[in-house]
Amino acid sequence: MKKNLILTVLVFLLAAVAVFAQGGKEADDGQFHISGNVDFYVSSSAGGGSDIITRTLTDIASKKGFVDAPFVVYNQPDGNGQISRRTVSTARNADSTLLCFSSGDLTAMIQNGGLTLDDFRPLVILAADKHLCFVNANGKYKSFQEILDAVAAGQKINVGGTMSDERVVFNMLCDELGTDAFTYITYGSASESIAALLGNHVDIAISKPAAASQYVLSGDIIPVLALSTTRFTAPFDAAPTLSELGYNDVEYPMWRGVIGAKNMSDEAVAYWADVFKKISETEEWQNDYLAKNLLVSQYMGPEEASAVMYEAQAAAQAQN
Amino acid sequence: MMETLQLLGQGFVVAFSLQNLGAALFGGILGLIVGAMPGIGSLAGCALLLPLTFHFNPTTAIIMLGSIYYANMFGGAFSAILINIPGDAPAIMTALDGFSMTKKGQPGKALFISNYASFIGGFIGMVILVFLGPALASFGLNFGPSEMTVLMLVAMTSISWLVGENPISGIVATCLGIMISTLGIDIVSGQIRYNFGSIWLLGGINFVPLVIGFIGMTQLFDLVVQDRAKEKISYVDVKIRFRDTLLTKDEYKRATRPSITAGLLGTFVGFLPGAGATAASFLCYAVEKKLSNGKTLVPLGQGAIEGLAASESANNAAAAGAFGPLLALGIPGSGTTAVLLGGLMMWGLNPGPMLFSTNPDFAWGLIASLFISNILSLAISLGCIPWLQKIVRVPIGVMIPSILVICFIGAYSTSNSMFGVVVMLVGGFLGYIFGKCSLPTAPLLLAFVLSSTLETNLRRAFLTSNGNLAVFLQRPITDVFLVIFLIMVLVPAGRAIYNKVKKN
Repeated sequence: MKKNLILTVLVFLLAAVAVFAQGGKEADDGQFHISGNVDFYVSSSAGGGSDIITRTLTDIASKKGFVDAPFVVYNQPDGNGQISRRTVSTARNADSTLLCFSSGDLTAMIQNGGLTLDDFRPLVILAADKHLCFVNANGKYKSFQEILDAVAAGQKINVGGTMSDERVVFNMLCDELGTDAFTYITYGSASESIAALLGNHVDIAISKPAAASQYVLSGDIIPVLALSTTRFTAPFDAAPTLSELGYNDVEYPMWRGVIGAKNMSDEAVAYWADVFKKISETEEWQNDYLAKNLLVSQYMGPEEASAVMYEAQAAAQAQN
Repeated sequence: MMETLQLLGQGFVVAFSLQNLGAALFGGILGLIVGAMPGIGSLAGCALLLPLTFHFNPTTAIIMLGSIYYANMFGGAFSAILINIPGDAPAIMTALDGFSMTKKGQPGKALFISNYASFIGGFIGMVILVFLGPALASFGLNFGPSEMTVLMLVAMTSISWLVGENPISGIVATCLGIMISTLGIDIVSGQIRYNFGSIWLLGGINFVPLVIGFIGMTQLFDLVVQDRAKEKISYVDVKIRFRDTLLTKDEYKRATRPSITAGLLGTFVGFLPGAGATAASFLCYAVEKKLSNGKTLVPLGQGAIEGLAASESANNAAAAGAFGPLLALGIPGSGTTAVLLGGLMMWGLNPGPMLFSTNPDFAWGLIASLFISNILSLAISLGCIPWLQKIVRVPIGVMIPSILVICFIGAYSTSNSMFGVVVMLVGGFLGYIFGKCSLPTAPLLLAFVLSSTLETNLRRAFLTSNGNLAVFLQRPITDVFLVIFLIMVLVPAGRAIYNKVKKN
């Protein structure tokens, strides 16, 4: 009896060690190796754009054998994403801890305070993304012009979106239209705000194309406004830009990239930059991710990415 | 209807291939083990085991994932029943009656009932999913901010059914739960509140370590301070025989009716976006308490078969129900289905309105495999009972350090940080004081779970209506819930007044 229990506890502890032990180390042969799991953090819940890009990246890296170590993806939306950012920033296994990072995350990070880019190692920027306004196909409004008319007639419009970059582009849109008839309702993720639109609980949902494409294809929601200087490609091509409606174009291009822990070694930075460069050149990445999600390919290595990120940080700090 | 059955039949053909069955069995065993570990539970369990599925082709991988998910739900009840530590949040209600049964020397019976009810709940959920899934998922979309607010209001009110003899202490516990849930970032405005200058509190308090603390640690403290010269040396010192685990005809009867009721209600709650298995198990338990009032052998919460069956059936039914919005709309109804969604997308499958038309064999294969997983999980867990129930005969001197280790690992692994451990220790300390002051802990934990959903939706509702209360009156669903709410509040109050007047 007692022996059995001790055995059980031992097995349990071993399993726990196997599950929770992680870490990247440099092997003796001088070449950089990852040992243990690679912890890839996503500061938003599953189903959103950050999650999709992370799953695609890890999938290609594993399938093509660019990285031997298994990836473990953590969705940690806690604390407006600040907890996952802090976790990555101070990660002990610095060489094998990555964070999916976008301009929206950057805005949120600066708003929350306590962390800046100095707490991380910028690695790469991989793609750029812009926003659209969507309405429900069975809703009150069928085009953005109808919404503008309704606003002129004194109607209030409810707009759903997430807490970060969509909120920024919403504020820019309101400034350009010069109206306070829009009320912004925050949702936890893109899929939640689209669900709210599908249920007619908001009049407009602001979203990036990736999270909305299924519903546009099925005809449940209609893109009515491109928050960009040019129109999107199909199936979003019907949405006009603001300049077509007689206003100045509004856009808040969102880049997506990856950053690492503050203490990541130079060897690891070079290693990951190389891995992501290889991924960005694969057919899967070009066809299955970029083309499918209507994104612009935009590989930038550590130095370039760092410059772009710091520039965005300065802008965000000025706004704050 | 015929077409649905035909598609489901094809799904079974896919699922019944040797490789897929093997994957389902393998996933089932692993899911059961991981689900039984406190603090890991179904959410982290699925996330941990997700990478395993990468080695298979998409259909096999998804089938395995489905069986991991299901087995997790079965496993969550084990530690709740045997050592009073809920493996995941929905198992809190399971622990109330399950552990009471264990203390009475019926651990095997409790496990058997939990498996039996889980199976019935899961089966009902799956059948509803097959025939009404897309329709119910679309209906769930009607639950906007105002509907969710009123639903949560009803749920919060039904906490009062669980507080026991002293309503004041129940209200104190409920209010404390609400206060704890307000820590962290305010999701609606993005403002930081009540973080007391600490970055750790920015994200609020994580539920799982809190539960492990309040229930598991508290119980440890109780064990430690017990005078063992007088008390027995293990939970149960009667000899446990396998035939004692089998149910009598009357016990089957007592377990079946609540399982069916909870299965139906639980599936419906599972279909609502953002409601989840915890709300389902708790609501069904509260409803069962009302339904079976006076008809049970012992009151609910003291080892009643009805309560155990209702809670377990509800959380498995909700787990099946959550697949409705996931497959038909691409909207995850719970944290665990969100992980599943991630898994599906990794295989290039986009759950959503197009899934049933673009990938029918995959969608139906998954649903068929869930049926098979349900049966497999039942078989595996029934097979484990004879060994598992021996755990309660372990001497308390060995039990205390073992549970302590499990609590620490569980609390740590929820967020892979020591913050979880701190939350657990504080929770355990508070829970011990609660026990000494005879404050009930269940209302605190449930208020904690429900009030953040209530708050977020209440504020969204006011934002959309510009602060106009009429938003709660103009919609049919909210009206129905408001009537239920008024009945729940006014009937007991009216009865109390009537009794008082009559007495005078």
